[in-house]
Amino acid sequence: MWTFLIKDLLLFWRDRKEVAIIILLPLALVVILSLVMPGMFGEGSEEEYDLDLALVKEDDQERSLELFEDHLRQTSDLSNNEIEELLIGVRAHLPVEGLIEYLNSPELAEWVSVEAMEKETAQAEVEQGNLDGALIIPEDYSFQLLADMYLNEPTEQALSFQADDQTMEVEILSNVIQSYLDHMNLHHAISSAGGEVEVPSEALPQGQVENVEGQQSFSMDQYFTISMGALFVLFLAATVATRTGIEKRENTFKRIVLTNSPPLYYLFGKTMGTFILAWCQMMLILIGSHLILGVFSDHDITVWVGLILMATMYALAIAAISAVMTSVMLRLKNSETGDGIFMMVIMVFGVIGGNFVPIYLLPNWLQQIGEMTPNGLVLATLIEWIQYEDFSILVMPTVILMIIVIVSLFIGVKLYPKRGDVS
Amino acid sequence: MLETVQLTKAFKGKTVVDEVDLYLDQGESVGLLGPNGAGKSTTISMISSLLKPTSGDVKLNQKSTIKNPVDLRKVLGVVPQEIALYEELSAYENLKFFGRIYRVPKSELESRIQDTLEIVGLKERQKDLIKTFSGGMKRRVNIATALLHNPKILILDEPTVGIDPQSRNYILEMVRQLNEQKGTTVLYTSHYMEEVEQLCNRVYIMDHGKVIAKGTKSELLSILSNEDTISVQPNRIDEEFLAAVKKIEGVRKVEVSGEEINIIAKKVSNIVSELVNVGERHQVQILNFQMENPSLENVFLHLTGRTLRD
Ligand SMILES: Nc1ncnc2c1ncn2[C@@H]1O[C@H](COP(=O)(O)OP(=O)(O)OP(=O)(O)O)[C@@H](O)[C@H]1O
Ligand SMILES: [Mg+2]
Repeated sequence: MWTFLIKDLLLFWRDRKEVAIIILLPLALVVILSLVMPGMFGEGSEEEYDLDLALVKEDDQERSLELFEDHLRQTSDLSNNEIEELLIGVRAHLPVEGLIEYLNSPELAEWVSVEAMEKETAQAEVEQGNLDGALIIPEDYSFQLLADMYLNEPTEQALSFQADDQTMEVEILSNVIQSYLDHMNLHHAISSAGGEVEVPSEALPQGQVENVEGQQSFSMDQYFTISMGALFVLFLAATVATRTGIEKRENTFKRIVLTNSPPLYYLFGKTMGTFILAWCQMMLILIGSHLILGVFSDHDITVWVGLILMATMYALAIAAISAVMTSVMLRLKNSETGDGIFMMVIMVFGVIGGNFVPIYLLPNWLQQIGEMTPNGLVLATLIEWIQYEDFSILVMPTVILMIIVIVSLFIGVKLYPKRGDVS
Repeated sequence: MLETVQLTKAFKGKTVVDEVDLYLDQGESVGLLGPNGAGKSTTISMISSLLKPTSGDVKLNQKSTIKNPVDLRKVLGVVPQEIALYEELSAYENLKFFGRIYRVPKSELESRIQDTLEIVGLKERQKDLIKTFSGGMKRRVNIATALLHNPKILILDEPTVGIDPQSRNYILEMVRQLNEQKGTTVLYTSHYMEEVEQLCNRVYIMDHGKVIAKGTKSELLSILSNEDTISVQPNRIDEEFLAAVKKIEGVRKVEVSGEEINIIAKKVSNIVSELVNVGERHQVQILNFQMENPSLENVFLHLTGRTLRD
């Protein structure tokens, strides 16, 4: 079994120039493109928004607090001491104050400029299109929010966000605000369970600014790095199949058949060989593009756990698929036919998997089909992973890739020709 | 020990091997002769379990090997017509790889490799890549690879095509020694009569997928026992002259090969003078004239009306 692997690796080694090119190509491509199209990469890649927002504050904090205190004394059965303590906590982190602070924070200041205004002026400005939107904090909103948070009484009045037209920016901003509030609620829930109160704004995820749902965003260069990696691993598998074609043409495969070697041994060499190369290729492009271009520089080490896990699983899956290709190749009369078929399959996989065109530009149904290809699945998963870094994201894809591995190996063995002369 | 029964192979309805019966006894050296496209390689592929017969059977010690060729493969050493080696690996690496997958015990493998390299005379070049070898050297490694696991039966498919006479003699001598000294059973395929005559106890002659003659060399030659083979070199050859020669009484076959005409005729005394007469009538001068000892080549000519390499 290892004999076959050693042989295959030795053959790769003899052809090291070509193999090195195949392995390094995606990395080279990413680096070159980043030089040619600097705008697409690095810092400049995040879209720049510029938003003018009016802030209409009809809510009076002090009044709200007094209302809240009265309300507490009337409705809750807390002791005086407890109420005092609670109020100290509330004062330390006034929710509306926090929101305004957040809107004025340096992170948001980069793309949102906030101006305090009267309601009428603000509405007029928005209507005239001088402002992108107006955030109106209604009277006694703080009180209602506190009542909602601490006493679970539903709010009657909501924040209102007015905008003339529903642009992307406005959408994002309203989402940011919503998620801030959600976060505060959640935070309150956690802190009242655990007893300790933290400053919500500190706990906000870093990149919340840029994204609709409040998670960290991904950038074009990350997308590109992963999609190129996934795509070229497919090409690698095709290369291995081509080599099988050579083995057939050189008749060495006949000899192998004559030795009574179990099919699995031969396929093992091919599969393991593919796996090793594919893995190296994935690692090279992920680590290489990070070192050269700093693609993952605003992530910590956790992101690498997911990247490496998925890259490894992906390399395994493609290696197993290469076993199928190998067997098909051995069965075909003409190895050029095989090369052609595999190239076509790879192109189709590449396109619907989003390796050529960003997946979110494709129609929905195609995206769904795309995620059924291993490359599309890995791409989608890793993009999600980069944003959330939640391990539960990785579970399903890992299982699916594992199934692909098992099924492919099974098919590969089944298709392996029993006799050498398959012509 | 090894035999084929009504072995038949058809590709897309075209029968290329037709009910071939062969057998190999232990220690024998048997030749399989035939012109290009006779079906020799196809027969060999079926015997060596690489190709499934359309019908018929290949039996090893009376046991069919079609369903389960494992035992057959163990005792078989096959030298394919094409070089079956990794061009990008060295001779040594090729032998080591195939030796290991042939399950030659690790302790013996190294000495087996060196022994076989010795046999094929390539010990000095073992570290070189196959692609740097000459055709003859590749052929020799091709044979060495089939010898690694000490096969009881060695099947060689035209192991000498396209190589220099020196390598060719070397290979022939090597096969002869394997057969005589180690008792290896040999099935040797060729379209060179001389090789088979030199090497084999028994010969099968194939043409158009059929065995058209078989037996020991003398048995085959006796087919020609009441015929003469005459080689004539006239100053020119024209159709009318040939037609006239064919009409001479007792002439069975007339074959032009180069500047010569080969004639097979019944043993009749006046054939020579008849020839001269015919020549005179057609203004053809007979420059040279030779009665040949019949060879297997002549047998083939007799049976098919063609030479082996046409
Ligand atoms: N895979 C195939 N498909 C169709 N026809 C085939 C195939 N293999 C061989 N043939 C045909 O079978 C016939 C016999 O071929 P084979 O290779 O057995 O001849 P051979 O006696 O070995 O000739 P040579 O001396 O040239 O090696 C030829 O006519 C060839 O065209
Ligand atoms: Mg042949």
